[in-house]
Amino acid sequence: MRIAFVLNGKKRALDAPPLARLLDLLRGPLGLTGTKEGCGEGECGSCTVLLDGVPVNACLVVAGQCDGRTVLTVEGLGTKDGLSDLQDAFVKEGGAQCGICTPGILMAAHALLTANPQPGEGEIRESIAGNVCRCTGYQRIVESIRHAAKERASRESG
Amino acid sequence: MALVGRSVPRADGPAKVAGTARYVDDLTRPGALLGATLRSPVARGRLRGIRRDPAFDWAGVTVVTAEDVPVNVVALIEEDQPVLASDEVRHAYEPIALVAAEDPVRLARALRALTPEIEPLPPVLTVADALARKAQIHGPDNVFATYRISKGDAAQAIASSPVRLTGRYRTHHQEQLYIEPQGMLAFWDANGAHLVGSLQCPFYVHKGVKRTFSLDDAHVDVTQAVTGGGFGGKEEYPTLLALHALLLAKKSGRPVKMIYNRQEDVEATTKRHPCEVTIESGCDREGNLSAVSIKVLMDGGAYVTLTPVVLSRAALHAAGAYRWEHVAIEAVAVATNTPPNGAFRGFGAPQTIWAIERHMDRIARELSADPLELREKNLLRVGDTTPTGQFLKESVGVQRCVEEARKASGWDKKRASLGAAAPTRPVSALLRRSAPGSSAPRKARGIGASVFLHGAGFTGSGERRLKGRVAIDMLRGPSGKKPLFRIRTASTEIGQGTETVFRQIAAEALWVSMDRVEFATPSTSVVPDSGPTVASRTVMIVGSIVERAARDLFARTENERQKGGGSFDDAALRLLAGKEPVVSEKTYETPGDVVWDDETYRGDAYPVFAWGCDIAEVEVDLDTFETTVLGFWAVQDVGKAINPLLCKGQIEGGTLQAIGWALNERLVVEEGRILNARMANYIVPTSLDAPRFTTVLVEDPYSMGPGGGAKGIGELPMDGGAPAIAAAIEHATGIVRDDLPLLPEDLFAARRTGT
Amino acid sequence: MNPAELALYPFERPATLAELCRTLSARAGRRERTVLLAGGTDWIVERGFAPPENPDDLPLVLDISRLPELRGIQLAKERAAIGAAATFLEIRSHPVLLRRVPVLTAMAREVGAVQIQARGTLGGNLATASPAADGAAALMALDADVVLASVHGERRVPLTQFFTGYRATRRAEDEVIVRVEFVLPRTGAHQAWRKVGTRAAQAISKVALAAVAEFERGRGVRAGFGMASVSPVTASLPTVRALALAPSLASVSDEELDAATRHDIAPIDDIRSTAAYRTHVASALVKAFFRELRAAAGS
Repeated sequence: MRIAFVLNGKKRALDAPPLARLLDLLRGPLGLTGTKEGCGEGECGSCTVLLDGVPVNACLVVAGQCDGRTVLTVEGLGTKDGLSDLQDAFVKEGGAQCGICTPGILMAAHALLTANPQPGEGEIRESIAGNVCRCTGYQRIVESIRHAAKERASRESG
Repeated sequence: MALVGRSVPRADGPAKVAGTARYVDDLTRPGALLGATLRSPVARGRLRGIRRDPAFDWAGVTVVTAEDVPVNVVALIEEDQPVLASDEVRHAYEPIALVAAEDPVRLARALRALTPEIEPLPPVLTVADALARKAQIHGPDNVFATYRISKGDAAQAIASSPVRLTGRYRTHHQEQLYIEPQGMLAFWDANGAHLVGSLQCPFYVHKGVKRTFSLDDAHVDVTQAVTGGGFGGKEEYPTLLALHALLLAKKSGRPVKMIYNRQEDVEATTKRHPCEVTIESGCDREGNLSAVSIKVLMDGGAYVTLTPVVLSRAALHAAGAYRWEHVAIEAVAVATNTPPNGAFRGFGAPQTIWAIERHMDRIARELSADPLELREKNLLRVGDTTPTGQFLKESVGVQRCVEEARKASGWDKKRASLGAAAPTRPVSALLRRSAPGSSAPRKARGIGASVFLHGAGFTGSGERRLKGRVAIDMLRGPSGKKPLFRIRTASTEIGQGTETVFRQIAAEALWVSMDRVEFATPSTSVVPDSGPTVASRTVMIVGSIVERAARDLFARTENERQKGGGSFDDAALRLLAGKEPVVSEKTYETPGDVVWDDETYRGDAYPVFAWGCDIAEVEVDLDTFETTVLGFWAVQDVGKAINPLLCKGQIEGGTLQAIGWALNERLVVEEGRILNARMANYIVPTSLDAPRFTTVLVEDPYSMGPGGGAKGIGELPMDGGAPAIAAAIEHATGIVRDDLPLLPEDLFAARRTGT
Repeated sequence: MNPAELALYPFERPATLAELCRTLSARAGRRERTVLLAGGTDWIVERGFAPPENPDDLPLVLDISRLPELRGIQLAKERAAIGAAATFLEIRSHPVLLRRVPVLTAMAREVGAVQIQARGTLGGNLATASPAADGAAALMALDADVVLASVHGERRVPLTQFFTGYRATRRAEDEVIVRVEFVLPRTGAHQAWRKVGTRAAQAISKVALAAVAEFERGRGVRAGFGMASVSPVTASLPTVRALALAPSLASVSDEELDAATRHDIAPIDDIRSTAAYRTHVASALVKAFFRELRAAAGS
């Protein structure tokens, strides 16, 4: 099946089995290995990407359902030498340790801050409740997201 | 410069947040096949054969069985574990055969076309059955190891104590549940065997490969890929996986990648040892501790793996952070036909610390004493000796930990105002999102504490035997002007911050900026053997070697500068102009006064201990017995924090693992099989389960630690969480639990039966 | 099966409900198996743990997630019609539902976490008929009807009659759930959602209670309950419901509520919890709801 969609801001089209998992398309033919597989059953959130702006587990989305839609992955947030403010906050505030859950958490947090630029701690924690991290205890992740929100606010007011 | 003590951003951060860090499943090689493992469905049996479905098209599929294994042992402490079962199968999920194919669909089908033919044998599934020798499954008595520690005359002293108390405390399995499953990429070429994988200890894998394939050092290369968490789970297990991948690669003549799925990872890889601890103590009515007798019984699973070392650490921590004049500890680990248990952060200590801390609460209950006061009264201090006779000569910051924790948490006030006897005050609909319009639920709050210690570095003579090495190279910089430095160490970055902290230590000692210090990818052909990344030894032990090597290079350069003038960089460039590479390689030197006797278990069990006091405040729903952790104060003596942010990250992450072990996690094992090997039903805490931590770093420096006194703290935070939670639940509800876990069903059952 | 084997399944995306019904009808007539795929949060997950199917006889997977007739949330004349393909995220963010049907939005907020809420649909929650389905429990409390469509037109089944056994429903092979409908609880109705799950988020219910009660002059005129994970199908707690409509709530004792709850449920021990715990919690949640009702009646 021919699948056409907008991936990280660029139109893409490829032939894929319609029930291939979006996760496998991203990591395989599309070469975007930033999206990680931790459980394959929608529990850990490591494969979180944004589908039409909303966080989904790429292990539970099939190719045929992506046709005509937009997908954003961690590679679409920024680059290693040009990190987004959110990515940068995770580096500065200790939001990443082993890093395997980090891309997924960044996507969930990106969706949160887009919809709600000044979230409270409860909202931050709820927005990443579908992303399991075994390293950090979550506190530095929450701080990273809060830091990014604060920086944005001060940039906009300043 | 003052890099040490600063929360510099982690060096591997940008690649990780950009998604460009390459984990093993992100790597491949041309022509690579995928590999999978055929496993035993039963806990014990005799392997009669492996049937291959003749209807299946086997073209292009590689199958490996025990017959293909050159030397069929996994080289660890003992060589009792086969790479592939050949005769007796000793646990469910034990590897029996390996398959490789071009694509995942072919691979899945090929695996299904193989059927192991196993004649079942009666399994030994419990510690009691093992001790009763229901079947003989290891040696003459099913015992893996026994240790005894003795100081004074515990039996006599307990008998003559005014207050004698006995308790039995059990802990359960725990799965590491690193988010990146185990994985390995293997290939062979003219230079021998090559492996790239998710692992903590490249030289463990190296040793195993050399043994199984009878290769020499030069013909095995093991390289660490970026690793998505380990927590001990990637300490010994990757050796087995590496051997499997290499066997398939050898037979197929192609590179082979093996990536476990989550279910396979939970089922087949090692867990925290379940443990039962019986404690008998004697003290006076004022709560002055005098004597303790402790029996530790551990379930090692089907093979030895690292069980003796885990057991040893369990025994060495069993008396807790307290002064006892008389101590008798006996620790035994036995074999069962369950998947082997192995390394997990804390390495035996969380099990015995759970026991001693619950026992301290038992004493406090008996004496109607404040649990924290009772602990404080009996804390080890500089000048005391431990159960092994180790004289504590410095860096015992535990008193300060307790003081800070008491203050920060508001212990005194909360202990008096909260609790089962106090009126209940429901809080915060936000923490447990309650029903719209639901009436105030019946809830109880309480606060509890634990005090604990963790020996940093290898136990006993470990470091002396190991002689860990680190090298630092001086290299020409890209511009040719500013020289660079490269740390070569086998200590791996698994998320805890090794790379960043080592670069801080080296840069500080070299008086250069951090961007001039590189960290070589740990690869056994490039780095010297610094020892494994375990035992809270990375910063304290290996970091101190890094510091010495860096100081050596600095001194040599400074010497040249004084001779030939110019700047530090000019002098460095003159050194680099010579024929020989400029490198400093250093070996760990155990401080001369650290003495240990393996035979008698007397002496300095560890170079130094790190200390901590945890305080948990919980709210228990009296209808549903759900526990919400409202606050958690983790106050830990780390000697010196090289990077406070990373250090706090370690403490918070480790503490949440301990909280999960207590409140969420339960491995369901029946007939030696794991029934909940999925992330949907092996439950670990989410961001909404995790409390807000108040983390306080106490710095009571260790004179031999790097950066002005750092101690190892990787495991310490795993030790205190569970008992603090249990104590808080007890305070809130009056429910006393001596066994983990503390799931709602457990509290409900305890409340019902009054036990 | 390995998730990679999913790629072998045939797949179609019907453009309209009519087309879907025609396909379903034709396939049912030929006894060909069909899978209706919406969010995939159950079916795709289950594939990973299910034995593989015969590759020569795979079901046809029909994507219904974007069918216009199954989308959207309509509110008119004090009735709600929620499309079967409405996601939990759409439900929890709907401003009128938030105000009028908090039992439903609170439920939706506690399904999995945002990633699952974004994909999981109300129709899928009913069709898979898991006794742990939170959506089914909330809709049960609302006395919802399930509307099914086929080439023969629409038919309506009360949710209390929709489930016929463990993971079995009255939906025929040639039918699709198009929407659920219910009368909006009147303003001021008591509504409660309480999920006791395996953890605070990303959890499956051990027990969950949805309850709605409406009063006129201190007398209960309408009450509905739904409870998850306490019996082979979502429990509607009929005996408890009768007590909620008793002439005087003050006369309903805790012992009666315990007995009624126990009568209405049949919990089991499983991987997530125990029958004893579930029985206790089910009673406790029911009693808590009645305490609230009494408090409101007394005030």
